[in-house]
Formats: sequence, C-alpha cells, structure tokens
Amino acid sequence: MLETGIRQFRMAMGMVWGRKLDTANLARLVEDALATLAEFGEPGSDVQAVLDGPLADPDSRADFASRCLRRTARRLDAQSPFYSRRFAAAGIPAGKLDVETLRSIPVTVKRDLVDRQAEFLCADATRHLATRTTGTTGRPAEIWLSRYELDLLAGLGALAGILRDENRASDIVQVNVSSRATLSVHLTAAVSRLVGSGCRVLGIVPPDEALDSLTSGGVTLLATVPSYLAELVSAARRRGLGPADFQLRRIDGGGEVLSPSLAAAAQETFGVPRVTDVFAMTEVFPVTGRTCSARHLHHDVNMGLVELLDLETGEPAAPGALATVVITPYYPYRECMPIFRYDTRDVVRCLPEGTPDCEMAGIPATSLVLGKADHILRLSPTYVVTPRDLVEAVEALPSQPWPARFRAEAVDGRVRLSLPKSAVAGLGEAEAADHFARHGLDLDLALVPDAEASSLRQLRSDLHETTFVAAPALIGE
Amino acid sequence: MTPFQLSVLEFSVAAPASVLTSGTALAYLRRVRLERPAIGTFNSRDIRVLFTFIVFLPFLYGLLPHWALTTFLSITFASALSIGLRPLLSPAMLWIVVGTLIGGSIWLNRTMLGTVWGWQLCWLEGDLMVLLAAVAISNLYVQGGMKFKHVAWFALILACYDLAFTTVLPVNSHLAEEFLGWPLDPSFGMRVGLYNATIGVGDLLVYSLFLIAAFKAYGRTAARIAMALIVVFGAVAVSVAPLVLDSFITARTDVAIPAQTLFGPAAFVAYLWMRRHYGRERTMQEFLASSDVVRPTGSPAAAPAPLPTPVPEPAAV
Repeated sequence: MLETGIRQFRMAMGMVWGRKLDTANLARLVEDALATLAEFGEPGSDVQAVLDGPLADPDSRADFASRCLRRTARRLDAQSPFYSRRFAAAGIPAGKLDVETLRSIPVTVKRDLVDRQAEFLCADATRHLATRTTGTTGRPAEIWLSRYELDLLAGLGALAGILRDENRASDIVQVNVSSRATLSVHLTAAVSRLVGSGCRVLGIVPPDEALDSLTSGGVTLLATVPSYLAELVSAARRRGLGPADFQLRRIDGGGEVLSPSLAAAAQETFGVPRVTDVFAMTEVFPVTGRTCSARHLHHDVNMGLVELLDLETGEPAAPGALATVVITPYYPYRECMPIFRYDTRDVVRCLPEGTPDCEMAGIPATSLVLGKADHILRLSPTYVVTPRDLVEAVEALPSQPWPARFRAEAVDGRVRLSLPKSAVAGLGEAEAADHFARHGLDLDLALVPDAEASSLRQLRSDLHETTFVAAPALIGE
Repeated sequence: MTPFQLSVLEFSVAAPASVLTSGTALAYLRRVRLERPAIGTFNSRDIRVLFTFIVFLPFLYGLLPHWALTTFLSITFASALSIGLRPLLSPAMLWIVVGTLIGGSIWLNRTMLGTVWGWQLCWLEGDLMVLLAAVAISNLYVQGGMKFKHVAWFALILACYDLAFTTVLPVNSHLAEEFLGWPLDPSFGMRVGLYNATIGVGDLLVYSLFLIAAFKAYGRTAARIAMALIVVFGAVAVSVAPLVLDSFITARTDVAIPAQTLFGPAAFVAYLWMRRHYGRERTMQEFLASSDVVRPTGSPAAAPAPLPTPVPEPAAV
C-alpha cells in the first residue's frame, strides 16, 4: 500500500509537471491494481477521481488545458519541423498559448499527415511501430509510434480497464479488426499481457470462423467494428446460435456508426448486457470518447484538448450546432509523431447548454459521432441528413439488412437513397417511405441489385482476410 | 518495590491494555469500514518500509528537542486519531475531539504532575489516546490488506529488533525514561505511588494487528487463540519476566521488557500452525461477505455503483 502510494504520487507528479512518465512504474501500478482486486474485489471508493481526473470544474479544466497546451506546443516548436514552422507563421510564442489564442494556429488536416509525414516526426523520438489508418475515407495516413508511447498506452489502458472492470485476468479477448490495424491489435495484446488475460487476434476472417472461436474458446470479450459485428450477428442467427452458446460478457465496438438496432440484436444474440460504442482514431490517440447510457459521447479531457468547431465558420460551435471535432493530444502522451489541432472531420452535434443528465455528467459531452463532415447532406439551412441518420434508419428495416449498405446523395433538394433490393424486401413503396419518415427522413428510394450492394458503401468488414480453412481446396482432395 | 510487586504492577497495566486495545480493534474491524485508496493493498515490501521506519524512529526521537518531538507526536497522534474517528464523527466533532485529546495531554502534563492523582489523570488521558491510535492504525493496515502472514513476520522481525534495542543498544528503555512526564507519551501506563508501569504503543499495535488479522484470516476460533496468546505472551510473560531475569529492571527500578521478544516467536509459530490447520487466508472481500462482520440492522447492502462504459481500442479510421 505504501509503495503503491509512492508509485501513484510519481505518476501524478509526472502528469502535473508534464514529464515523460515512467512506464515501468506504470506497469507495476497495474500489478498493484490486480492485487487490489484480488484482495478487495473492487478498487477503493475514490476510483472515479483516478479514472476521470479531478476536472469536473470548467475553470480548472480551462486552466489545466492551457498549461498542457503550452507544454505540448513548446515541445513541438522545438522538435517537430511541421509545427515549428506553423507556430512561427502564426506569430504566437508556443509558451504563451492558451485555449483562447489557440485559434490563431490553423487546424491540421489529414492531407497534411499524408503528404508531409516526415515533417511530423519529432527529432528527439525514436520510431518503433508504424500504424496506418484503414483508408476507408481516402488515402491512408501513417503514424509512427515510439516504444515509450506503446508502453504508456498499454499501461494506461490496462490500468483503466482493470479499475473499470472492463478487463479481468480471467478474460479471453477475441479481436476481430483488420490485422493491419497494428495499433489496435498491438495495444489489445499488450493490455492483455499486463492484465494477465488471454488474447486471440483473428482479424476480419470469415464470420463462421470467428463464431467457432467464440463458441468454443472461452472468449469473454469481443473487440470488433460494427460492420463486422453485423456479419457475426447475421451468421449466428443463421446457425441458430443464441446466448447459451457464448460466454461473452461485453462487446466493444468502434470506428463506425453503431446503430441501436444492431446493438440490440447483438445483445440479444450474444447475451451481453451492452455493446459499447467508443470514439477513437489512430491519428489522435490516446484521446478517446466514451458513450453513456443517454447516448452522449463524453470526451477525454485528461490527455488532450477537444475543440468543437462550427462546420461553416470554423469558430467554436454554439449549443445545438453541428461541429467537427478537433483534437490536440497532450505531451507526454504523444512523443514520436504528435499532432496539434487535428481536425478529425468527425461531426457531432453540440448539446444544449447545461450539464448533461447522465452517469458521466462531469465529463464534457456531445452527441454521438454523426458521420464524416464530407458525408453530411445539407438540404436546407434547417434540414441536414447525417450518415448516422441513414445507418440507423436502414438498419432498423424489418429485413435486418446488416451491415447497412446504401449510397445517399442530394438531388434537387431531396435525398436520393440507393439501397439493395433485399433491404426493403416485403415492404411496399409506401411502407418503405413510411419507415424512413418515422426516422425523420423524407427521401427518394432507388433500388439496386443485391450484387451491387458492397459497391454502395465501403465498410471495414470489407477488408476480409483469407484463411486456409475458408479457402476452397485446390488439389489433393 | 520487590520484583514480585513490580510484576503485579506491570501485569495490572499490560493485561488490561493488551486486552482492551486489541478487543476494541476487533470490535472496530467488525463494525467500521475505513476508506482506502483506489489502488493499493498491503504487501511484504510495505513491511520492509515499516520496519525501516521503526528502526530509525527511536533515533529521531532521541535527536529531536522536546518541543520538536511534541510537535511531531502531535501530528502523528492527530493523523492516527483522525483516521480512526473519521467514519464515526462529523468533521467538526472529529477535530474538536482530536484537538481536545492532544491539547488535553499537553496541558495535563504541564500542570498536573505534582501529585500521584495528577499523574494518574495524565496517564488515563494518554492511555485513551494510545488506545484509539493503536485501534485506528491496526485497522488501517488490516483493512488496507495487511495479511496475517505479514503480521506474523512483522512480529518475528520486531522480536529480534526489540531484543537488540533493549539489551545491546538500549535505546527503547532510554526513550521510555525520556518520555515519562512529557506530553503525548506514546505508551499506555499507570502510576502507583512512585512507580510507573507502561507498555508501548508499538506493542499494543502489534497485539491489535495480530488479533484482527487472525480474525480476518480465519475467523472466531483463530481470534480466540490469538487473544489467548496476547494475554499469555503479551501480558503475563512480560509481567513475570522480572521475576526470572532482573536484567530488565533499570537503575531507576523501571521495568523495561522487550515485549515483542516474547510475543513475536509465539505469534509466528501460531501463524504457521493456523496456516497448516486452516489453509489459505480469507481475502478482505471474503471477510466482508462473511457473518463475522456486524451489519447495521435494516440497512441493505449497498449495490455497487455502475462503472462508466469501457474504452476499448477500436480500429483506425
């Protein structure tokens, strides 16, 4: 207990002073957390303060953010060629930045990362692992990470996972995300190692293989993307599998829109109480967002600054407005290839003023991510259709067309929605229109053959990986 | 006083002090829950830290001038008392009680030592503080995850320490003499005529730890055995030692018994026997779920607060 206190103190001081954290110390804290659970069955009562930080007060939050921004900017000014030039051009000393003057620094966009990758590398960091975005929204960006970053993220993830009872030593995690998502795969395995749980990385394999593993391998946690989860649900229902066939206690989804219909179906089929919907991006790690029971997205304010900028003006968005999420991860959480004011182009709606009424009320929140800014259909000043609106409406169709395949475009001031024929099977034209109207969508339907479904909308589950089990036998049979 | 009379005097202090302190610690353990940090449980490295602190503490006491020592002891007692009383009293009442006890000790020791009755009053007030401090700290450790195993090893190590620091390097007996008549004496004692008999707060802390750790680990029968050992080796043996060995009687005829030297080995053997007999110790979680814990009537067990949604590492965009 005494040495755990010293370790916590060391870590807290590192965070307060903005020094690189001792990752070995963090790993030992993870062991302490495991020992705590073994003895007491749960962490102490002030666990929430440890997990969410003491930043419920807006003034404290702003002060903390300004200090972290200055620290981060000072390092970038000294080590990152890209940001050194950018700060110089803005004419504001990095050490004098705060949340107000921050807006004089232009946002960083994905094209900057793709075209000028080398300029983002910090001179004082050593590259260790490269991870690429999956490229479903264009050319992939490549992010380099140092060993320190990987160890730090694994340690912080394991500690939070243990204290929130998300990860137990008795768990087996099955990972069904693209094997090329190296950061996600690496971190899941590293967190499992620290926690002492099992980890099975399968990738986007044929759903039946993943189901075989889920039903026979003692798997208790599933990490996947919503589109692949949809394939798993459909395959499980086709095989007549139900909650009794699985030992899952949680499914973690992220990276795509998760509709309530799919989440409910997954809960019912796999027997889990909830499918978690998480916001995270390779470019802005480790800043993430968590979803509460009221379907708010609560943004991490301890490891980065989250700005909500109006889609039209680029100024801070007003309550109720649509906004793009701009994120600055703080030093010392990013070391090798940090970014500053990265415009994710993920659109959210700002909540009305006041404290959100949910279990995470102390943490700033927005709506769930509604889709990428470029995919928003703005039909009039007051009528906007987002990818989330469409995914939720399509996946709620009685035919259960999971994952949703569609293409939406604005034609003559109306939404034209192209759908595979099977999606509206059994529904007349009026019934289909009725269904979408109930979801607040006034649109024209255009049906296409089912064979063209996958060309309508690219999904992460399209990144299928072949296996010898699934491949047809060629010779020797 | 004859050695026999000294033994009777020592027993009349050591026995009630040991039984009362460890018994109160047990009652506290069964009824009161101390707050603990989000992460952390007592482990063997903590024992080493604690032991190192104990080794250096007497030297610190010896080096400090009295005013500094009184300040240090005030802070120490205030911390211990506040830890133990916090779950029982409102914050205002807590600091009134702590302030009264510490201030009372300082005032009584500065003004009341002219008579035997005054000495006795000072001892009574000090004894109450020592008892409460030992109860609080023993519970802090055991409710913080200190296992019976740790207590047994701690007692065994202290046995060697106590012997060395009482006979080879008599710092402890020197300190016992030095503290006498000063405020916040960390001893439980009483005066009869010209004679004072005391038992140190450290000894009472170890007895309390031993009893409540045995109870937490193995239940009521183990606690009865532990209490019997405390009485026999912590009170009786300590009291009769001067009858056997007069080397424990100082020139001032104060009795300076290395209590842990007698108690430590017995405690360790008892632990070994219980481990062999009962097997694995209960965890704090198992203990709290058992009927050994006294729950307020009519208050249902609190449901655990829902934790926030998990944060997995999803795939990249």
